[in-house]
Amino acid sequence: MTSPILLLVPILFPLLGALVLPLFHFESRNKRQIYVGTIVVLNTIFTYLLLWYGPSEGITLIKLTSDFSIGLKIDGLSKVFAGLVAALWPFATLFAFEYMTHEKRENYFFSFYTGTFGVTVGIAFSANIATLYLFYELLTLITLPLVMHSMNEKSIKAGITYIAYSVGGAAMAFIGIVMIMTYGTGADFVFGGVLDLAKIGDKSNLVLLGYVFAFFGFGVKTAVFPFYKWLPMAGVAPTPVTALLHAVAVVKSGAFAIMRVTYYCFGADFLRDTWAQYVVMTAVLITILFGSSMALKEQHLKRRLAYSTISNLSYILFGVVLMSPAGLVGGLTHMIFHGVMKIALFFCVGAVMFKTHKEYVYEIEGFGRKMPFVFSIFTIAAIALVGVPPLTGFISKWNLAYAAVETGKVLPAIGVFVLLLSALLTAMYLLTISVRAFFPAKGFDETKLAHVEDPRWYMTVPLGVFTVAIIVFGIHSAPLVEFFTRIANGL
Amino acid sequence: MEGNLILLFLVLFPMVGAIASYLIGRANKEARNYFVAAVAVIEFFVMAYLFVTFKETTAFVWKEFCGRGMYLELDGFRVLNLLVAAFMWMMTTLFSKEYFKNLRNRNRYYLFTLLTLGATVGVFLSADLFTTFIFFEIMSFTSYVWVAHDETEGSMRAAATYLAVGVIGGLVMLMGLFLLYTQAGTLQINELYEACHGIQDKTMLYVAGGCILVGFGAKAGMFPLHIWLPKAYPAAPAPATALLSGILSKTGIYGILVVSAQVFLHDAAWGNMILVFGVITMFLGAFLAVFSIDMKRTLALSSMSQIGFILVGVGMQGLLGHHNALAVRGTLLHMINHSFIKLVLFMIAGVVFLNLGKLDLNSIRGFGRKKLCLMGSFLMAGLGVMGIPLWNGYISKTLLHESIVEYIHLLQEEGTAVVSYQAVEWIFLFTGGLTIAYIIKLFVAIFVEKNDETQEEFDAKKNYMSAASTFAIVGSAVIIPILGFLPTLTQDRIADLGQGFMHGENPAHAVHYFNFENLKGAIISLVIGLVVYFVVVRLLLMKKDEAGRKVYINAWPAWLDLENIVYRPIILVFLPFAFAFVCRVFEKLTDGVIALLGNTVFTPIMAEKQKSKKENEFKANIKSISSEIRGSITYALLMYGIGMVVILYYLLR
Repeated sequence: MTSPILLLVPILFPLLGALVLPLFHFESRNKRQIYVGTIVVLNTIFTYLLLWYGPSEGITLIKLTSDFSIGLKIDGLSKVFAGLVAALWPFATLFAFEYMTHEKRENYFFSFYTGTFGVTVGIAFSANIATLYLFYELLTLITLPLVMHSMNEKSIKAGITYIAYSVGGAAMAFIGIVMIMTYGTGADFVFGGVLDLAKIGDKSNLVLLGYVFAFFGFGVKTAVFPFYKWLPMAGVAPTPVTALLHAVAVVKSGAFAIMRVTYYCFGADFLRDTWAQYVVMTAVLITILFGSSMALKEQHLKRRLAYSTISNLSYILFGVVLMSPAGLVGGLTHMIFHGVMKIALFFCVGAVMFKTHKEYVYEIEGFGRKMPFVFSIFTIAAIALVGVPPLTGFISKWNLAYAAVETGKVLPAIGVFVLLLSALLTAMYLLTISVRAFFPAKGFDETKLAHVEDPRWYMTVPLGVFTVAIIVFGIHSAPLVEFFTRIANGL
Repeated sequence: MEGNLILLFLVLFPMVGAIASYLIGRANKEARNYFVAAVAVIEFFVMAYLFVTFKETTAFVWKEFCGRGMYLELDGFRVLNLLVAAFMWMMTTLFSKEYFKNLRNRNRYYLFTLLTLGATVGVFLSADLFTTFIFFEIMSFTSYVWVAHDETEGSMRAAATYLAVGVIGGLVMLMGLFLLYTQAGTLQINELYEACHGIQDKTMLYVAGGCILVGFGAKAGMFPLHIWLPKAYPAAPAPATALLSGILSKTGIYGILVVSAQVFLHDAAWGNMILVFGVITMFLGAFLAVFSIDMKRTLALSSMSQIGFILVGVGMQGLLGHHNALAVRGTLLHMINHSFIKLVLFMIAGVVFLNLGKLDLNSIRGFGRKKLCLMGSFLMAGLGVMGIPLWNGYISKTLLHESIVEYIHLLQEEGTAVVSYQAVEWIFLFTGGLTIAYIIKLFVAIFVEKNDETQEEFDAKKNYMSAASTFAIVGSAVIIPILGFLPTLTQDRIADLGQGFMHGENPAHAVHYFNFENLKGAIISLVIGLVVYFVVVRLLLMKKDEAGRKVYINAWPAWLDLENIVYRPIILVFLPFAFAFVCRVFEKLTDGVIALLGNTVFTPIMAEKQKSKKENEFKANIKSISSEIRGSITYALLMYGIGMVVILYYLLR
């Protein structure tokens, strides 16, 4: 058995690496890439070693009060989130190496980019709500410079909006945390919740209100309606940031926190069939339709994907707020699979922007001919996200819809209908891009696109790996889903 | 994975072959052509081997596949449909080599053709509706590329409609599958009958069945979901159209059969519904085909009409209950017969298009004169679809007709009203007449009439198709009279093999196809057909142009198109408007709150914003943003949150 103190390593190692990065004045790009690459790859390997062979007991680092402490621990849910993040980070970094050659101040960028890795793993490894909250706030701060990277008016505006929304959300979440502290038996995460029913007595409505606050508070990072505005605005960040942070790490840390709060603090049994569940589920369903509809309206490629993310994050939350094990399985499945699909989509768009500086849907007419690799992958990922079998998106949507039908209630049944409607909208807003790229309208002049071509292997390798994952996990998802089922049943 | 691995091979082999052909095609086009042909031929021979050695049902299970498992099964019904599918793919692939010689993007075409083959085989093999759904969706997407192949404006529009119908149909079907699963607890086709049999309250089951019917019916071209069909079929290249019409539409029928013969076996209400849709589809298709003046469009509408005939059979199965023998056999045989007929007809249309680049009857008039191979093949297929005795279509149509007659007899014995079913019988015979009329119209135009302008040029064309194409067309056409001349030897055996799938009872006695009772229906149809041809087509649908020549005119009003007057406005105008409206409302909801706060609680900040405008532009902007934030709902909530914390602290102390 390994010592629990090792849990600190994958958190501190990238943070330290990031801290010293600006001290070196790398003469060549190559040297920095080797340095950053080594840190990220080592950290991924170490994270996975911990997930497999790591300690089962946790560690308390600092005791603030008798039941308020900073501690780390790995459980099933941590494994899912940490595993997802650690798997994607090296590929995203590889992509960023190439992409950032067009941007300025690469040193600072990679410093914060690598540091974020540590903080995200910290969120995954948190043993109690206080630690989660700490890392959650840290994540907001450390990603802020990444959002504002280009330092022009637009990105600063986006950065300010981002921080205002995040801090405001965290404040709301704090109310929920206070509830847990007051009415719970402790702040550590325990599957099934820590609430003490004797203490609550007849104040259950107050506690439920606390849950709703916590949900919307953490929901700000998951862009739940009406707190979504920062996400499309943050699309001004460099694509590696939008792809990794705003489709996976940051936004899913919000979903992860909601899972923790729902299943490990308040407990699904306490929340099931209460007004609180209906309130949050209604918000989630509105977000799903709203995100898809806005994506259809949006003509800017990255913002269209950002709206799509808003919609898909709420798919995850829909599973979570079903308050049943099957729902959590659906949510977890979509968390993982959406991560892979969306990062692939973003990288395709990133590759287009990197090679051609085109940003709008109507500008990519006929690009499929010249960038066959990128657009083939875009199409596969798009079809997967629509939910066409046998690709990954179908598995997660099936699990979600099945969990909803299983509850036998009215609102979840409406939810299934919403999911299908949203799938239709997804097909419309994603496949139109593919169709435009592969089947240009008449009178299309191919000679104009002489300079358009597929990017080099820094970009194509991550895309290829993600596509293989989309297909393989689609066809053979059983082990993963079984693992989620064990988690969702508290095993 | 367990069971018969050949079944998995049948699905995966074409798919792997597709990718290989694409890679080969990038290096060498000639090698690619041979490779694709080899894949299709091997698939056919494996299938033929399975058919010949078929003794008992075999199955294959891959439990982990795609979350819920892949269940494949090979029984008599499936082996028949698969044999037809593999045969069609082989023939069209042989034909494709010549058809595509001057066209672009052949690599893409072959890639998606083989992928579609694998998916289609998967649909027919599936023993679980979930597996069916998976392959059905793959098939919808891969066949999209066929329709879009020419990349003209018209074909892109047709392809978009095709994709939209496919996606919407697929989603509605998925909804139906969910409902069915919650009702029946299983999606295994074999178990559905037992599972649904005992359900007392069938309301939800009907909803589920209706949703699934939308998905499969859309692919089959059932009214009112047929809108894509008359556009997509003509838009696709001829070999692909043959497959779309001959096989892909049958996958839709396959699904409808699963629902009708397993979930709603012997359910009269369901049977009536399918019958109504079937009758409308059958009549509408034939009616429009008489008006059409484009060869491929006529054939496309004819396909729709023939699908209607099949649906009539499906409906009669439900109505007849335990007396379903004739209906089951008629349905099955018409599925198979129609596949062969349309294979030949669409390949002939392909030859015409290959030589002339056109398909409208006035331009291709007279092309077929003195071309015996072509004319003979067309005649075989034409007589087949017309339902003339001694050709295959006669057998299946007779069975379908007799099933309606039998039901009328049954009702008469019971003493119930039969008027509506007599109407069905007459529409059936009248539609048979329309079929005869539009086939004669095509035949006369292409093979009999002379073209005033370019007849010599047409007659000079001796090498109008290659050896491989000739083999494909004639080889397919020969089967049609064989099936028709020897019904007891061929068709009855086919029916015996496949009827178990639909819970078909054995017929009380052998059917005498050529007795007067049965010939009467064909004769009535023939008379109606000749009258319609000479009165309607020759007199009303042909006019003299300025030069005094008689030309075919398009008398069907262009605006009368369900797609353009109903579906497109709803989906492209009304729904986006509704969504946009709701979005706007929601967006304004947040902004409205902020504006309200800005104008009431936070007025001083707004004033400050105006002051700061005098400072330089950049700073001002940043400030205005931050004041916007301070005026935002989140900020308000933050303040509110802090207040809550204080109150909570006070309350809980």
